[in-house]
Amino acid sequence: MKTAQEMRVNSVALIDGQPWLIQKAEFTKSGRNSAIVKMKLKNLLNGSKTETVYKADDKMEPVILERKEVTLSYINGEDYVFMDPEYNSYELRAEDLESVLPFIEEGMTDVCEAVFFEGKVISVDLPTTIVRQVVYTENAARGDTSGKVMKPGKLRNGTEIKVAEFVEIDDWIEIDTRDGSYKGRTQAPQA
Amino acid sequence: MHWDIFCRVVDNYGDIGVTWRLARQLVAEHGLRVRLWVDELAALARLCPETDAQAARQMLCGVDVCHWSPLWPGGVAVADLVIEAFACELPEAYVTAMGQRAQPVLWLNLEYLSGEAWVEGCHALPSPQANGVAKFFFFPGFTPATGGLLRETDLLARRQAWQAGEFLQRLGVQPALGARLISLFAYENAALPAWLEALAQAPQPSHLLAPEGRILGDVQGWLGGQTLLPGECRQVGQLRIQLLPFLAQDDYDRLLWSCDFNAVRGEDSFVRAQWAARPMLWHIYPQAEDVHLDKLEAFLDRYVAHLPVVQAESLRNMWLAWNGRGDMRQAWEDYLRYWPAHRQHALDWAAQLARQDDLAAALVQFYRNWL
Repeated sequence: MKTAQEMRVNSVALIDGQPWLIQKAEFTKSGRNSAIVKMKLKNLLNGSKTETVYKADDKMEPVILERKEVTLSYINGEDYVFMDPEYNSYELRAEDLESVLPFIEEGMTDVCEAVFFEGKVISVDLPTTIVRQVVYTENAARGDTSGKVMKPGKLRNGTEIKVAEFVEIDDWIEIDTRDGSYKGRTQAPQA
Repeated sequence: MHWDIFCRVVDNYGDIGVTWRLARQLVAEHGLRVRLWVDELAALARLCPETDAQAARQMLCGVDVCHWSPLWPGGVAVADLVIEAFACELPEAYVTAMGQRAQPVLWLNLEYLSGEAWVEGCHALPSPQANGVAKFFFFPGFTPATGGLLRETDLLARRQAWQAGEFLQRLGVQPALGARLISLFAYENAALPAWLEALAQAPQPSHLLAPEGRILGDVQGWLGGQTLLPGECRQVGQLRIQLLPFLAQDDYDRLLWSCDFNAVRGEDSFVRAQWAARPMLWHIYPQAEDVHLDKLEAFLDRYVAHLPVVQAESLRNMWLAWNGRGDMRQAWEDYLRYWPAHRQHALDWAAQLARQDDLAAALVQFYRNWL
């Protein structure tokens, strides 16, 4: 058993005999030092979705999942096709990738993990840190170099995140995929 | 309909204050059979002096009050609706019995009050349980997208009809002519001396009424270590400080209605001060990593949303100073510049809140919808 706050996005919990994929989990401090976790769940047997809330220390039964390394092959509208090293392809709908969708873009080379339940691919995890290019951001107003002053920056797929004020258009940045936060400026990935 | 409310007294009077008030209202206004399980009856006895702190079971104001002892008694029938207040853990045997009950049971976790935006997104969400019982989280709050606040049907009418004279006389309070009457209920507070200095040196006299509680040590410290007994007064400059005995819930309401300004704390007295419709000051329950400051700011954002900027700023600065962020003396003096506007705002805010359903009615409606 794990506590609700230990359950991660893209893990599966057995609730009342049904397997539920955790598509989103938000931890919040409630009153008097207690905490809750709001989850978006998808039933892996019938596809229904629901939002739930748990006490952070509520016990949940995790389901052991199979995982396999994959990379993005191509995107076709709402369909995202990933491929493993043996050239097996796995197709997922955008709705199955909700938690990582803001950071998926054509041409990305990140080694991801496809998540399987009873042999069927149910989602994909990105690495904790990814590198993306900023395609648009306003010019810095005050020349701050501390990295503490933030401004909006747009990625190639249209996702907007907060970046340090000194970041410029075409700069490459590191992003923490667990919370979508900017980590720092970096070099362009080697082709 | 039979409801069970479980209350574990963590510290202070917030848990028992809210659950006792809710239990009474459910009985009086909704005709429910309510059993209130309390682990510390001595805390209830402070709010309801008729309580026998040793009794395993007693009827108080129509509420079946049961002592929640560590040894859970066998054969307790499960209610139609079960409220765990503030995420307290229900007895394991009771949870098992809920899952085995022939008729379905609704299980609610009544959460803490917060003005933060996420509350609306979590209110009334399910929390599926291993025993198959339908459990939901129920959040009190300040908007129609939440469960609302505890408010008895006749509360505002009673407040409006209130005449303070006789009540104050009973408490032995004789304010000087023109004195600002202030009630003080707070946790230990480092900002207190600066505020008392400001009151003592102000042109207008103040009469500070402090019911017994955690702030007493700080008050006595400011008085140079003098011990204050209930009923006793001390005069320092323009400030008269009077210690009151700990007041039962209904008398505390009357105190709030009788004062010009109320300093309150935690959750229950904070809500009651809003219904009192007097200018007020909130000492929020301090939490680890200063999480409470986010909650304070979230409430302030709602509370001052429609005020002119300078008035809003004076109120915000004073509340922050009282909670350890700023100079309380300066903040109080700035706040007083907008005194008439703050008085009007307190009335407007109470009227705005009164437009939404009260918490007890919302709980009953939620149960009906679930059925």
